[in-house]
Amino acid sequence: MAIIERPSTELEVSITPSVVVPSTTLGNLRRPVQSTGWKSWLFTVDHKKIGIMYGVFAMIFFIIGGVEALLMRLQLAAPDGKALSADLYNQMFTMHGTTMVFLFAMPMAAAFANYFLPLQIGARDVAFPRMNALGLWFLVVGGLVLNAAWFLGGAADGGWFMYAPNSGPVFSPSNGVDFWTLGLQIAGLGSLIGSINLIVTVLNMRAPGMTMMKLPVFTWMILVVQFLLVFSLPVITVALVLLMFQRSFGATFFDVAQGADPLLWQHLFWIFGHPEVYVLILPAFGIISEVLPTFSRKPLFGYPFVVFSGAAIGFVGFGVWAHHMFAAGLGPVSVAVFSIATMAIAIPTGVKIFNWTLTMWGGKIWFTTAMKFAIGLVVLFTIGGLSGVTHSVAPSDTQQTDTYYIVAHFHYVLFGGMVFGLFSGFYYWWPKMFGKMLNERLGSWNFWLMFIGMNMTFGPMHILGLQGQPRRMYVWTEARAGEGFFNFGFWNLISSIGSFVLALSVLLFLINVVQTARKGKQAPLDPWDARTLEWITTSPPKEHNFDRIPTVHHLDEFFHRKYVEDEATHTMKAIATGEEIVRNEEANAESHIHLPSASYWPLVLAIGVGVLGLGVLYGVPIMVLGAAIVLLSSFGWVMEPSVAEDSDYDPPAGGTSKELASHG
Amino acid sequence: MSRHAMSARNAHRVRALAITKLVGASIFLAGCAKDAPQDVFQPKGENAADINNLQYMVFGIAGVVGVIMTVLFVVTMTKFRDKGQPIPEQSHGKPALEITLTIIPALILSVVGVFTFRGVFDLAETKDTELVINVTGQQWWWEYDYPVQGDWGIDKPIITSGQLVMPAGTKVLIRETSRDVIHSYWIPALNGKRDAVPGRIHTLRLHADNPGIYAGQCTEFCGLSHGNMRMEAVALSKEDFATWVTNQQAAYKEPEKDSLAEQGEAVFLNQCVRCHQVNGLKKADGTAAIAAPDENVYAGAAPNLSKFMSRNTFAGATWDLLKKDCRGNVWDAKSEEFGAKYLEGVSADCLNEVDLRRWLRNAPAMKPMYADPTKLEPTDGKYRGMPYLALSESDIDKLVAYLLTLK
Repeated sequence: MAIIERPSTELEVSITPSVVVPSTTLGNLRRPVQSTGWKSWLFTVDHKKIGIMYGVFAMIFFIIGGVEALLMRLQLAAPDGKALSADLYNQMFTMHGTTMVFLFAMPMAAAFANYFLPLQIGARDVAFPRMNALGLWFLVVGGLVLNAAWFLGGAADGGWFMYAPNSGPVFSPSNGVDFWTLGLQIAGLGSLIGSINLIVTVLNMRAPGMTMMKLPVFTWMILVVQFLLVFSLPVITVALVLLMFQRSFGATFFDVAQGADPLLWQHLFWIFGHPEVYVLILPAFGIISEVLPTFSRKPLFGYPFVVFSGAAIGFVGFGVWAHHMFAAGLGPVSVAVFSIATMAIAIPTGVKIFNWTLTMWGGKIWFTTAMKFAIGLVVLFTIGGLSGVTHSVAPSDTQQTDTYYIVAHFHYVLFGGMVFGLFSGFYYWWPKMFGKMLNERLGSWNFWLMFIGMNMTFGPMHILGLQGQPRRMYVWTEARAGEGFFNFGFWNLISSIGSFVLALSVLLFLINVVQTARKGKQAPLDPWDARTLEWITTSPPKEHNFDRIPTVHHLDEFFHRKYVEDEATHTMKAIATGEEIVRNEEANAESHIHLPSASYWPLVLAIGVGVLGLGVLYGVPIMVLGAAIVLLSSFGWVMEPSVAEDSDYDPPAGGTSKELASHG
Repeated sequence: MSRHAMSARNAHRVRALAITKLVGASIFLAGCAKDAPQDVFQPKGENAADINNLQYMVFGIAGVVGVIMTVLFVVTMTKFRDKGQPIPEQSHGKPALEITLTIIPALILSVVGVFTFRGVFDLAETKDTELVINVTGQQWWWEYDYPVQGDWGIDKPIITSGQLVMPAGTKVLIRETSRDVIHSYWIPALNGKRDAVPGRIHTLRLHADNPGIYAGQCTEFCGLSHGNMRMEAVALSKEDFATWVTNQQAAYKEPEKDSLAEQGEAVFLNQCVRCHQVNGLKKADGTAAIAAPDENVYAGAAPNLSKFMSRNTFAGATWDLLKKDCRGNVWDAKSEEFGAKYLEGVSADCLNEVDLRRWLRNAPAMKPMYADPTKLEPTDGKYRGMPYLALSESDIDKLVAYLLTLK
């Protein structure tokens, strides 16, 4: 067993830690203060490690969701596909949507938010570090419960929207939907906890001088997203609880024979579901609002407009849900109102596109891989945005809704928008997170294959939809395929080929990651000539993030420490390198840095909630067991001080200079 | 590699991107020009035409904006790539320009909004309806029920399935509901889609300018065989529609004595009548044979087969009753000849026996349905869809012969 010594909290003065020999009875309950090894990850409360774990889990689910998509494209490559049965196909598209939204997109955004939000505001961690870990573990447990259904009688098969009454016990007799409601409730708890945590962090823990209008745009967008989550997740939770009670305990909330109106579910789902769309896209908007200025060497054009348009999108996003229901029979008044509201939301979105373009305008554009992905987002999101405007015209939408045109639209927005934004973030922040540069050459291949694959896969779906191919059909038939060469057959085949090009591009990214980890070149401290606070520290950042909490005077503080404006020419003159600035911070390091200690309880509590959930399906004894774990871990959590006792550490090995501040 | 070399190479890529987009746009246009039966840009009636005008407007605007944005992107990326220029002035934006760029899209969208508003209310208008048809969705087929309407010669209710038959040039109002889950009725050539929701009645106007057959598909995910739930709207001239109505109300024609069909009637009485009604059919003892689908099917109904061979399709309009060339004869007929051809129905020569026999042999193998007798616990022993009936080949021969008499 490795000797774990209590790290010193003072950098300049060497102190002798108090020597306490832990009593043997407490031995098993000592806190997991290791700084290396698997325990340092499982029990960590460090926002950076938690961020990385969010990223790893999200990536695993991205691959799972991607394989589900590939199987669907295999099925649809030719008429009357035989690759999947109707039942399996329905499970596939349900789980593809659910996985990509809840287990890839949201966690990946959470990964970036966790890692970079505290760094961007000059904080040492989030406001509630153990809650942060709990959020992660809820997500993981939720994801496992969701996917456990594959092995326990079949996954959910009602579509990610799970419309009632098709989700009821009669129409979906397998346990798939039960796992689905439980998994999403647990994962949702995680998101809710995470969002409150991040809101408190942004509002309370900004570095001195960082006013709200000096907040980096990424942090701003994450803040807006957290508010969206706080207000929308309770709605879906209510819907999920109703569905769970209907399926498991005989309630009749969506049972038409008992007088229920199935549209209740649709309203509940989309009041959550539409803000959720912005939950998915705004973090990507935030990422490229960092990347575009950095590689254009200019501040973001119209910072306040971008910030307020983001907030406006978030706000109006709560008032457009019924545009998912234009064909549901709401009556002309509701349809007209939601139609207009939907058009209104196009305006702040358009403002963002203009601002990004004008950020590049007059700049000095450096086409790195991160920049290519960011520009890819702007281009592809514009296409998706424009097809979105065509839906806002409700009568027109009644022709396109539930066809492949919609599938094309939201993949341009979510794949072209969100995924490209996340990949831009990978390439941009990889050197910061791991101290090594991702290979730019492989990155370029990654980008171009993804760009081509994306357009090949989803571009033809516009045409398929307008030619009248509905979604969610496990087969398509030649009888409805149309005449000539460019019929369903041609476009479906192109789309299927494209999906494999996409898969190849993701594979290249993974190869890049592995190669970088094994023999990537060491990243300079400031490889991109960046602009924001997260770069005023080492790469990867030390556990306490900053040796000295920076004082902020500008938006783009880091950039303004490196450059001053030449009064005469209005061009920028370099006065210091990033390296010099970081070294200067290190030289003026603060003493007495307090960091919270690792804890078992978040993981144990999350597992307890998972067991409790399974009890809904497998009986009261399991439920009692789960509840007992939850109670025990809550109690343990409450009694646990935020900083580990000295007795949790091994006695000092004597006289050596110790590794500082790396307990996890 | 230096940044400049990288940027220069990327300038080419930017141009390549522009060319790709142009090529893409032309393929897109070429792609839309072809004749798919559910193409949303080929309206064949008033309502769809109204929608199409809105589609042209908003697709046109989106297209123009798209072109402008593409030009802007390409110019920006070529013009401002890193050519070694100094780091630019750190300007934070121009509020006047920002406000202008906010107001312009707002203005464009308010124009679109006005037309949309009008379109929504126009399409919801139901006062001038000339004919009403009740449409009911069920896993996984549509039932059409024509309530008594003396003006159209409908003096007793007509119940059919698969194909909605309606007069051309007439304002038809369908009143939709569902017996189980949510379905959605969509004949793109005639109107947009409208969900059929259990417990609610939604209306949708259909109007066809000319006689013809118009394809559709259920567009709300409705469970296992959602992909196999289609429909067709058949528009007939008013005279042909009157003929159709008369025929649908005509008395039951008993099969000829000592024919194979007569034996088929016995099989039908023994097996099929449990769920499928044939109006006028009598049991051996002379009493009326009344189907009781509510005892066997979860949703409580099964297609009424009274004039089965007057339709062209079966099993949720998913398989054709007509052989391929006979089908082409009807589908591709000129509008003035269409009615006569459709009213011929299905003759023995034209019958698509292969699929019909396959269906009778083992329906759930052809179309996935919840019809496994061992797994009916959630539905109290009732089926969702047609079960496997273990009919012998000779029974199937007899049934086919009998079904051919149902015209």
